[in-house]
Amino acid sequence: MKLSEKNAVVYGLNTVVIRKKPLEEPARGAGQRELNEEVLDAGLCTGCGACVGLCPYQAIHGDATVALHRCDIRTGRCWAFCPRTKVDPAALRSIAALGADWTAELGPVRGLYLCRARDGANRGAAQHGGTVTALVRLALQEGMIAAAVLTGPGERLLPRPLTVTDPGKVPETGKSRFVASPVLAEFNRAAREGAGPIGLVATPCQALSVAKRKLSGRNLGDAAVDRLGLMVGLFCGWALSWRGLSGLLSGKLNLEAVSAMDVPPSKYRRLEVTAQGAPLHIPIDEVLPIVRRSCLSCDDMTAEYADLSVGSARLPEGWDEARHWNQMIVRTPRGEALVELARRREVLEFREVPEGNLERLKSASLRKKQAAREAEAKRS
Amino acid sequence: MPKLSDNSAGDERLLMGNEAIARGALEAGLQVAAGYPGTPSSEIVDSLSKAAGDVPLYVEWSANEKVSMEVAAAASFAGLRSLCAMKQNGINVASDFLLHLAGSGIRGGMVIVSCDDPGALSSVNEGESRHFARLVEIPLLEPGEFQEAKDMTRWAFELSEQLGTPVMLRSVTRMSHASGIVRFDSLPGKPRRAVFRCEGFMLDTDEGPMVSAPVGYRHEMQQERIRRARELFEASPFNTYEGPERPELLAVTCSAAALYCREAVSMLGAAGRVGILKIGTTWPLPVGLVKMRLAAAEKVIFVEEILPFLEENVKVIAAESAREIGVKTFYGKNEGTLPMNGELNPDRVAAAMAGILGIPFGDPAADYRRQAEAAAEAMAPQRGQTFCPGCPHRASFWLLQEALHLDNRKGFVCGDIGCYSLALLPCGFNSLKTLHAMGSGMGIASGFGKLGAFGMDQPVVTVCGDSTFYHAVLPALINAIHHRADVLMAILDNSGTAMTGFQPHPGSAVNALGEPAPHVDIETLCRSLGVSVEVRDPFDLAETRRAVNRLLEQGGVRVLVLRQSCALSPAKRAKRAFRVHVDDAACLGESCGCGRFCTRVFRCPGLLWDKAAGKARIDEVICAGCGICSFICPQGAIVKEVP
Repeated sequence: MKLSEKNAVVYGLNTVVIRKKPLEEPARGAGQRELNEEVLDAGLCTGCGACVGLCPYQAIHGDATVALHRCDIRTGRCWAFCPRTKVDPAALRSIAALGADWTAELGPVRGLYLCRARDGANRGAAQHGGTVTALVRLALQEGMIAAAVLTGPGERLLPRPLTVTDPGKVPETGKSRFVASPVLAEFNRAAREGAGPIGLVATPCQALSVAKRKLSGRNLGDAAVDRLGLMVGLFCGWALSWRGLSGLLSGKLNLEAVSAMDVPPSKYRRLEVTAQGAPLHIPIDEVLPIVRRSCLSCDDMTAEYADLSVGSARLPEGWDEARHWNQMIVRTPRGEALVELARRREVLEFREVPEGNLERLKSASLRKKQAAREAEAKRS
Repeated sequence: MPKLSDNSAGDERLLMGNEAIARGALEAGLQVAAGYPGTPSSEIVDSLSKAAGDVPLYVEWSANEKVSMEVAAAASFAGLRSLCAMKQNGINVASDFLLHLAGSGIRGGMVIVSCDDPGALSSVNEGESRHFARLVEIPLLEPGEFQEAKDMTRWAFELSEQLGTPVMLRSVTRMSHASGIVRFDSLPGKPRRAVFRCEGFMLDTDEGPMVSAPVGYRHEMQQERIRRARELFEASPFNTYEGPERPELLAVTCSAAALYCREAVSMLGAAGRVGILKIGTTWPLPVGLVKMRLAAAEKVIFVEEILPFLEENVKVIAAESAREIGVKTFYGKNEGTLPMNGELNPDRVAAAMAGILGIPFGDPAADYRRQAEAAAEAMAPQRGQTFCPGCPHRASFWLLQEALHLDNRKGFVCGDIGCYSLALLPCGFNSLKTLHAMGSGMGIASGFGKLGAFGMDQPVVTVCGDSTFYHAVLPALINAIHHRADVLMAILDNSGTAMTGFQPHPGSAVNALGEPAPHVDIETLCRSLGVSVEVRDPFDLAETRRAVNRLLEQGGVRVLVLRQSCALSPAKRAKRAFRVHVDDAACLGESCGCGRFCTRVFRCPGLLWDKAAGKARIDEVICAGCGICSFICPQGAIVKEVP
């Protein structure tokens, strides 16, 4: 007889007791066990940090969530808040109460804008047009939020989530880092300490997690999401694995000196990494193998559950001009109010959205949704 | 208070078997004793070290069993009587030297005491040391009760000196740790002067060099010694027979099993039907005596613990003399009447004899057993074997397994021998994934640490205690360094050989005699080998865990000393650093966010679950006040205060 936990107990270095009746497989629930099986073990964890800091069982190390200890609670916040566990999309949309603006390709769209920070210095410290930096700074200055959970640089290219209350500190966080940052773990910590209202800059998976939390948090005794005052979403194609990225770059440049990273439009087929001097061009074929597994199964490119979402722009003048601008989808009244404020305070400058940009964005988003369906079909 | 070293012939004392062995050695004029601690042997050298102030005696806790045997052999070569004591697997450690020592022979009487652990009550093996005596061709004695343990030990020195061979005395847990009345004989007078005579001819056993070569000549001498031992054993008073002249069933037995036989015969009321041949000189067997007793019985049962050593050796005699004594029916381990593992007891032996004799025999203790089980279920805490409250190993393994989980590359810990072997179990968060001999953790880790070339990307960690480090880890560490293995070694330094009773080791500032001794410093030693060494306090959980995660990212050999003394150490005992209590308002109990983390996962026995209140509690009786649980609680509900 092969012994397992089901039919035997080991009490000491020399005591084995065979169970008279084998343990029955516990009924499936919606807790840590299911989270491990459906997400962590399946390689679908996004490293968002939603399940971290709520209990002692889940933790983040590097860019990975790990189950530190075995929890036996059947229904847990960890499973409910995870962006990769099953959820009814209609229910999610209903809590967002944005049915009217909903588009199949991009989620709610109240408006598409081409914009950038008016302040050139803001732009320099940020990615592309510096729109996110400018908006978060404004929201803090105007008291729309009291704290912002953002992502700053850490060691060896590992991003570090942090809570910022001083608007002057926002630009220090204004770069894309291409590695998952567990900002929701930091959000959990800040909410627990009573901060609020909190602004959050989130990737699509993180925005989805927050939406799920709005849906089920209260039933699970979690009111942290009530402290959320603003969610700025980021367009995202994929993130890279931290160990993979540091392995890829460590022979090529000094990791601690990396100041910027960018992926230009797909025809360039490269990742640009700036440390000292001119950017190093890494062929995209070397980069794709270190993309997080979970990103391949992601069907949201534009952070559909955020108040507004910001990403790179496309302009008829080409990439050299477009890289200094952002494209922005405004999704909610709260997002709209902030953009209006930015316009009034002359924090952002706008230009007309070129014809066809919305259609191009929609088809890019649809391609990601299609790829995600195929990846999931292949996995199962 | 009466002492083991009292020269009071005729006194009767209640002695533990191990003390009886020590007393026998003192009466024989023992001058040098050495050993390495290991249950159930430790009290022999412990009690000799206490006697050392009163009689001319040198005692040491050696770095390992092999060294202890070498230290004792040197004394013997110099003409003194010497003893070394160890547990069964200690004989394995010393066996290479033992093989050569058997070849060279000895001068002053030398006794090797091996205490075996049937049932593995305090071991991770159920090894049989008796086979070594036969393997290396030296005499083997097994005492069958407490007076005999003393008398046989004393005689073992005479025998050793008379034959010029080391003699092995084998005890078992129930002989070493149980107690009985022992009548003292007198202690000898003047100690011998130590002189090593080595200037004589190569082959001169009294004056020449002590070597096992030339092998052919020495081996023949050795076998001649065994032949003479066999002759002497024919008349040995330690081989006894009790029962009818022509018994229906002959029980051939030795050691503690002889006591079980007597009790079984009495329980069955079968004194008129069963004869008990108790052998004290189990190798070489007294052929004449054995033949004589076999001839008088048709049915023979062998009653001994663990492997069928006596059984198989007697069967050889029976086969060789079958024409004279006739064909017998044998019962024992080979045909399954008695088990080949676990301890025996009177009930088991009685059941075996009853089956052969056709006597109805139920379980005489069934009622008692039921009552005991019911009492245990109702009153004993429901938990498995665990670390003591306040044990630094709990903190060490907590942070090691957290670090390995966080690291997320399926790293693992190669275990070693000590209290921390328990980390195989839930109390140590099932951290250990290999566990073998002393020093094997590092040796195995050294091997794993070279498998990166074949795609293994799991971090390799090994642990050892401070005493184990000196015992056998050092050569493996040197091996790993020389071969650039990728290993993180955590030395769990709790400042003594804690598991066996705080015997000093080479890192201690005192020796077995209580004298100040130069301590061999672990860090300095490791640094001198060219590896980086970090020293941390396992009670500083978060910092030390971060250090482990940092070290896991590095290659090569890294040494991390986790230093915090044992909760039972003389320095800490009965002193609580903190008073600990649970803040009911903050305790989440079973809800999401906790799930009884402290009692279900951390599992210190000082933490209790109050089912009715749905809250954690501190068991103030056993809490050692280390305060570690206050860091574990996700709610900060476990509060520690300086008393």
